[in-house]
This record gives sequence, structure tokens and C-alpha cells, in this order.
Amino acid sequence: MLRVQLPLLAASLAVLLAGNVAAQQRTTAISDVELAAQACNVCHGNASYVSPTMPRIRGNDATTLYTALIELKTDKRQATIMNRIAKGYSDEQLRALADYLSKN
Amino acid sequence: MTSFSRRQVLAGAAATAGSFALPHIARAQNAGGRVVVIGGGFGGATAARYIRQFDPSIEVTLVERDATYVTCPFSNYVLGGFRSIESITHRRDPLQERYGIKLVRAEATAIDTSARQVSLRTGSKLPYDRLVVAPGIELKYDGVPGWSEAAANSNMPHAWKAGPQTMLLRRQLEAMPDGGVVIVAPPANPFRCPPGPYERVSMIAWYLKNHKPKSKILILDAKDAFSKQGLFMGGWESQYPGMITWIAGKDGGKIESVDPKAMTVSTGFGTEKGAVINIIPPQTAGRIAINAGLAEPNGWCAVDPNSFASTKAPNVYVLGDASIAGAMPKSGTAANSQAKVVAANVVASLRGTTPPAAVYHNTCYSLVTPDYGISVSDTYRPSPKGVAVVPNSGGVSPVRADAVHRKAEAQYTMGWYAGIIADTFG
Repeated sequence: MLRVQLPLLAASLAVLLAGNVAAQQRTTAISDVELAAQACNVCHGNASYVSPTMPRIRGNDATTLYTALIELKTDKRQATIMNRIAKGYSDEQLRALADYLSKN
Repeated sequence: MTSFSRRQVLAGAAATAGSFALPHIARAQNAGGRVVVIGGGFGGATAARYIRQFDPSIEVTLVERDATYVTCPFSNYVLGGFRSIESITHRRDPLQERYGIKLVRAEATAIDTSARQVSLRTGSKLPYDRLVVAPGIELKYDGVPGWSEAAANSNMPHAWKAGPQTMLLRRQLEAMPDGGVVIVAPPANPFRCPPGPYERVSMIAWYLKNHKPKSKILILDAKDAFSKQGLFMGGWESQYPGMITWIAGKDGGKIESVDPKAMTVSTGFGTEKGAVINIIPPQTAGRIAINAGLAEPNGWCAVDPNSFASTKAPNVYVLGDASIAGAMPKSGTAANSQAKVVAANVVASLRGTTPPAAVYHNTCYSLVTPDYGISVSDTYRPSPKGVAVVPNSGGVSPVRADAVHRKAEAQYTMGWYAGIIADTFG
């Protein structure tokens, strides 16, 4: 029994370890938009923290978010700091952010 | 673009050399790479967290001397009397529990950038593949003649590192007589939290207005201009008329010496006596960064604006207040933002992938009263001259705004704080 079990155990352990590492280790590059989108978290929260104060980003579709960002950028929608922040990005960058934030 | 590509090649080469240099067993245990982060403030803790978020196979060890973190942001509200010190004191345990970051409570005393290891005061050594240095600031106690660490701990506090110093200044405000003068002395640039001294003055004024309304505040400034100056001065005029006097450096504000026993401050124009005197001294990068040879002669650490990689040592990143970050101020939000860029670059260099384009953000809220908030907010990109504001974006709150707008920014100040604590410490 023992002679059978030990190699089995070792094999399972090896598979488990290899599987862990393969599953966890990042294989894709971090895209420009993935990094840029992390900036929002500092005020608006993230998947595990929902701010009671700040307007909510997550749960909105890409069109809603893009429209809001463009209106903030062009001062059609009056807010406080978001009018200033949205001007820091091109329309294309805002569209990519809206797409990313609607899915993540 | 050329230097960007070269940087990538170098980073890739360093990563490869790093993994070959490791013993076989160590490689198996740390297949994702080992990162040590020195400093568990807004910069270091955010970097540790986001490295694990981007790539959970990387082993991250966070080295921090103190058990808890008392934030400098909101410590002025403790002085104002409407926030407790407990409410701005935070534990780092969630970083370990939720993100698997190894917390080591110890003081880092030396960095060997050739052997790639960090020495701790306990005597043990931590090897690293990549090192993130986020030590904050060191106060220059010899930067103001007559002042000293002993004076700071008795009757002329700095309160520029939050905690016992904040409470010392608070107690002095509580003990002073109505009708006394509070002297606040901010340093020349650069220093931690450019709007901080002026928000502090606002919060001291809030306390005095409500409890000791005959008192005055005198700002003896080493500078001739300061952050959000028009907004602060407009707020003081409307909220605390006649209470606050600001003397620019060129008009005699620059302190030449202090006498802690006599509780006096001397400038080129005369000697002023204070009931409470708050000296905010000149600063440098944290001692560990200077001892490790990461700083310039001016005491701050030069970095690549694309990644916050040190210009002095390979495989090392310096971020937050200790770094020379171009147009970015030394603030908690700036450090949090830089940390995300550093995390992405650390992961990219360990994985041999192309890092994303760097983009940085800063917002500094300040309160003039608990219901009167003002802000500066900017987006930044790398430029040949360092980190620079994206043209035609950002800026400060409108000079003319109604009470509803100021109140909204005061509410967002509270929201920002809750958000950055959640984003930094989990």
C-alpha cells in the first residue's frame, strides 16, 4: 500500500504545485487601460469597496460611462474635480476606460 | 521611444539574470519572483497590494517599523477638534489576510543593491528580485537654528508626522489662553503636503473661532507663494476675518532662529512671541534611501518618470514623498498613484512583458471649515523634463463658488479619505 501511495502523493503534489503556479502567474501584459483604470479606485472604490460618498462607477454600461466622461470633459455636466480630471484624457482614452470599467 | 525600448531590454535582461542567480529550491518556491517593499504608508502599501493584484504569483514582503499607521491626511482635523486620532489610525493586517502580503514589522537599516538584499535592525536579511523603497520623509531638526528634536517633543512640535506629535500640538492649543498668538512656520519647497500648513492654519482657526475667538494666527513662511493660495486666503477672509496673518518670506516671514525656552521666533524683521509655535522644518527623503545611496545631493531620489525606477540602482524603485516626481506634489494620493505605476512595472519586468504607458493622478483636498472644501486635481504623464501635467487639464477649485459647491467638496474630502484607505490597506 505504502509503495503505491507515496509516488501517487508525490505526483499529485507536483501537479498541484505546477497547477497553482500556472494558474496564478500572470502571462499577459498589463494594458494601458488596465493601469489607467486603477486610478479611479482611490476615490470611487473597487470590486470589494463601494464608496458611500462618491458616484458609483461599477454597474454602469460603457455608453453611460463614456457619455458621462465626455460631458464632464466638455463641462456640459458640472461636477467638482471630475471636470478637471476628464480633460487629462483623449476621447479615445476615455472610451477605453469606459469599456474597461463597464466590465471590471 | 528609444530610451523606452532600451529600458525594456535592460529590465528583461535583469529579470533573466535574477532568476538564474537564484538557487534551484528558491526558484521553485518563488517562481513568480520576490519583491520587498520598504515602508507601509500610502505609497508602499499600495505598491504591495497592486503587485499582488496584478500577479498573485509574486511573493511580496512589506517591511514596516510601526505597528499602525496614523495618516498625515486628516490629522489637521484632529487639531480642528472634529476627528479623533483613533479614526485616522489604521492597521495593515488586511494586506496579509486578503492579499497574502507578508508583513514584517522591523526597521530596514541598509540596502545592498549589488547582493540585492535588505538588512533589518533585527539582524536578518531579506533577499529580493525587485525592491520598492517608500520611506517617506526625514525631518531636518538642524534646519531651523535653535530648534531640535527635544524642542519638538516638548514645546515646539512639528506635527508633520502624525501621531503623538499631533496630540502634543492639540494639547497645546487646548491649553493656550484666549487671546494668544499661534505661530505656524512652513518651510521652503519641496516638502510633504504643500497645502498642508495652510489647511492646518484653517483647522486651528476653526478651533480658535469656536473656543478662543480673541486669538490670532501668524504664519511666518519661508516661501513667497503657496499651494491653493487664492482659495485659502479667500476662505480665511470669509470664514475667519481678521484672525490670520500671512507673512511671505520676502516680507520677513523666513525664520532665522527660534528660542524654545522663551517661546519666540526671530526673523530678519524682528522677534515674535507665540502661545503655541508649530515649526514645520525642511525635509529630505527617508534615511534608508539616503544611506542606500539612492538620493541626490539635495536629499531626494531621482527616478525614471516612466516607472519610478531609481536612477541610482538597478531593480530598485523609489516612490512617494522620497522621490523627485517632477510636477507631482508630495501627497498621499500622488504616492498611491505612483505605486500603481511601480506595481505594473515590477510585474512587467519580472514577467518580461512590456509595461503599460504611465499615467499619474493627484488630488489634494483641503478643508477651510468642516463644510468648506477646496481641491487641486491633476493628471500627469512622463515627459523629457520629468513627470508633467497633461496640458489644458486639471487645476484648482473655482475661486468664485457658492456654499453648495464648497460643501460638496467637503463631503468629497471625506469620501476621498475612506476611498484611499480602502485602496491602500484593503
